[in-house]
Amino acid sequence: MIPIEVYLIFAAVLFAIGAYGVVVKNNTIVVLMCIELMLNAANINFIVFSAFTADVLGQVFVIMSISVAAAEVAVGIAILLNAYKARKTIEADSLTSMRW
Amino acid sequence: MFVEYTWLIPLVPMLCFVIVGFFGKKMPEGGGHVAIFGALFAFAVSVLVAYEFFTSAAYSAPGYVTAQIAWFSIGDFGINVGYYIDSLSCLMMLFASFISTLIFVYSIGYMHGEGVKKRRYYAEVSLFLTGMLGLAVSSNFLEMFVFWEVMGLCSYLLIGFWSFTHPSGDDAADNAASAAKKAFLVTRLGDVCLMGGLFILLYAFGSLDYLTVFDTAAMAAVDPNMVLLASLLIFGGVIGKSAQFPLLDWLPDAMAGPTTVSALIHAATMVKAGVYLVARCFPLFTQNPELMLFVGIIGGITAFFAATMALNNMNIKKVLAYSTLSQLGYMFLALGAGGYMMALGIQSGDTHLIAAGAVGYTAGCLHMANHAFFKALLFLGSGSVIHSAGTEDMREMGGLHKKMKITSVTMLIGSLSIAGFPLFSGFWSKELVLETAMHAGSYGVEGYLFTAMWVLAVVTAFMTAFYMFRMWFMTFKGKPGHGTEHCHGESPKSMTVPLIILSVFAAAVGCMILFGFDEYITTGINAAGQFQVGSGHGHGMTGWLEDIFMSAYTYLTVALVLIAIGIAYLMYSRKSVDPGKINRNGNSLIYRALSNRWWFPQLYNQIGWKLGYGVAKGVEFVDRQVIDGTVNALSSAVVGSGESLSKTQTGNVRDYAAVVMAGIVALFILTVVLFYLMGGA
Repeated sequence: MIPIEVYLIFAAVLFAIGAYGVVVKNNTIVVLMCIELMLNAANINFIVFSAFTADVLGQVFVIMSISVAAAEVAVGIAILLNAYKARKTIEADSLTSMRW
Repeated sequence: MFVEYTWLIPLVPMLCFVIVGFFGKKMPEGGGHVAIFGALFAFAVSVLVAYEFFTSAAYSAPGYVTAQIAWFSIGDFGINVGYYIDSLSCLMMLFASFISTLIFVYSIGYMHGEGVKKRRYYAEVSLFLTGMLGLAVSSNFLEMFVFWEVMGLCSYLLIGFWSFTHPSGDDAADNAASAAKKAFLVTRLGDVCLMGGLFILLYAFGSLDYLTVFDTAAMAAVDPNMVLLASLLIFGGVIGKSAQFPLLDWLPDAMAGPTTVSALIHAATMVKAGVYLVARCFPLFTQNPELMLFVGIIGGITAFFAATMALNNMNIKKVLAYSTLSQLGYMFLALGAGGYMMALGIQSGDTHLIAAGAVGYTAGCLHMANHAFFKALLFLGSGSVIHSAGTEDMREMGGLHKKMKITSVTMLIGSLSIAGFPLFSGFWSKELVLETAMHAGSYGVEGYLFTAMWVLAVVTAFMTAFYMFRMWFMTFKGKPGHGTEHCHGESPKSMTVPLIILSVFAAAVGCMILFGFDEYITTGINAAGQFQVGSGHGHGMTGWLEDIFMSAYTYLTVALVLIAIGIAYLMYSRKSVDPGKINRNGNSLIYRALSNRWWFPQLYNQIGWKLGYGVAKGVEFVDRQVIDGTVNALSSAVVGSGESLSKTQTGNVRDYAAVVMAGIVALFILTVVLFYLMGGA
């Protein structure tokens, strides 16, 4: 049986890649995708702990999390579409007018 | 029956103030008739109240009647409002309302040409009268202080009556404005002292009611130093209000107002309030002979200095103003000398000395009443002259007797009275003042100071006779001057009738003392051990006649007065003695000192500039640098830190994400470190 550490390290690496992408990437579509990566890293942790402790509550949470993530992506994409309509760009460096 | 309606006395002039103030524009003479009605009504009620007070044994046996209701309370201190009637308040309200009535009637003629400003004038004089009458009937110090301040305000408004447009030009208007300010500020200095005195009284006695404060037992229970300090501070207020040395300079400047206002301030209200307050606080003041000595010395010095300044003044109103100061000095000298003897008598239990002191009280009050009549007469007479000749400079008058017979004769009566010519009003009271000062000189260790004051007072009597007749001869006799040629004859009836009425009183009111009047205006300690004004024990006619005519000093004073009148006649009517030779045509040092008022205004200015300006600059520095600086520094710190922090808001979503992540990492590290530090494995 594969030990739990492998799963956890996999999830951590996935999360790190997501975080890196969010901070570094200029394309906001990629940023959104990276956010999904981080979310899924968390979901993997849920499932791993659920499987190793024989408690289904974790898996229920993942279902919840996936549906919320779907809604969140819909909202995110909608914002980006509108931003593109208004500014003809979706680069994070250009969308900086919502500040002081 | 009537005493219960005492509150109407100040209230009706107050209502007149409101009515004239709001509706005066639509009334004939700017509401002057309403003001006259108010004063007349107050006088009528005063007469009824005084009549009932003196005829009913229930009131005149204890010597007072008072009624109060609660006004407000601060903690344990209850403040009341009500009336307190005794002989002194009766005297005050009677002559104040009577003289004010005559002055208001006179104003109808004098202020006739003022147009719409008459409304303001009549409203303010009504309020002025309210202040004086309220002061006279007040039952406690705070109520008295309120009316005291009302008078201060009205004097400011009325002295500055011509501060916008003056009949003699813009310079005179500026002069009126600054005179009003000066009067207000100088009396304010005294009022602050008075207020401090009231605080100390409230602290020491727990009440400000006359009844409580003047109670002999209560006074004995209080720390004597508190009583001394309170009395000193109250007298400070009196010095400001009655323009005594060293705060005497505002009163001559107050001549910038209309002449009727001067008459009101000098005769019926304002400056008399100070004398009234000293007489009212006699039980308090007589606790310390030293304080009474101080009162007497201030009075004597003022009498002398003010009289010297009147000697060479060319302005008819200014001469009268200085004579007021001088006569007020006499009143304080009499009250001080009488109080001094009374205080010594109380300390040693000598009833003879207390009775001698009571003569001083009588002298002071009688001189106050006499002065009210002859000074009102003189001011109104000078107003009549100014109205007709169109100038205040006596050099431009002269020979007016032929054109203005009534004014001339009535002013002659006033001058004789104030100069102390035998058998006129001023004679009786002035002789009593001098006698008291002389008498006080032979008691106590500091008594010799009163002898010195007596010498000053006798010299003052000589000077008074001289400058009053200098004024009369310069105005009504001699060669017609520039103003005389333009004079339009005698003033209208509304002005001459008050003059005639006043001249009767000015000549005769002092003789009342021979007919038992002194029973009402004396003070003493009654059977119950309390102070009582009007003890009912008079000297009687023979007593006074003996007192005055058996003394060699009386003849000395009378001789000096006659000599002074003679010198004035030679100098200013016959012109056989040239005053220019004596003062080297106005170049001698004394002449310049007198015309510069002994450099008092310069002294005030120096103190004002050096001290006042220095303090003001210091205060301005603290205000601008310290207080404003703190506020400004605080606000700029907030704005600056806000601006520099706003730079972190880049608007770039990735920066925010990075900060959130860095925060999570930092929290994680912190948690791990804490975990190990707290002994976790």
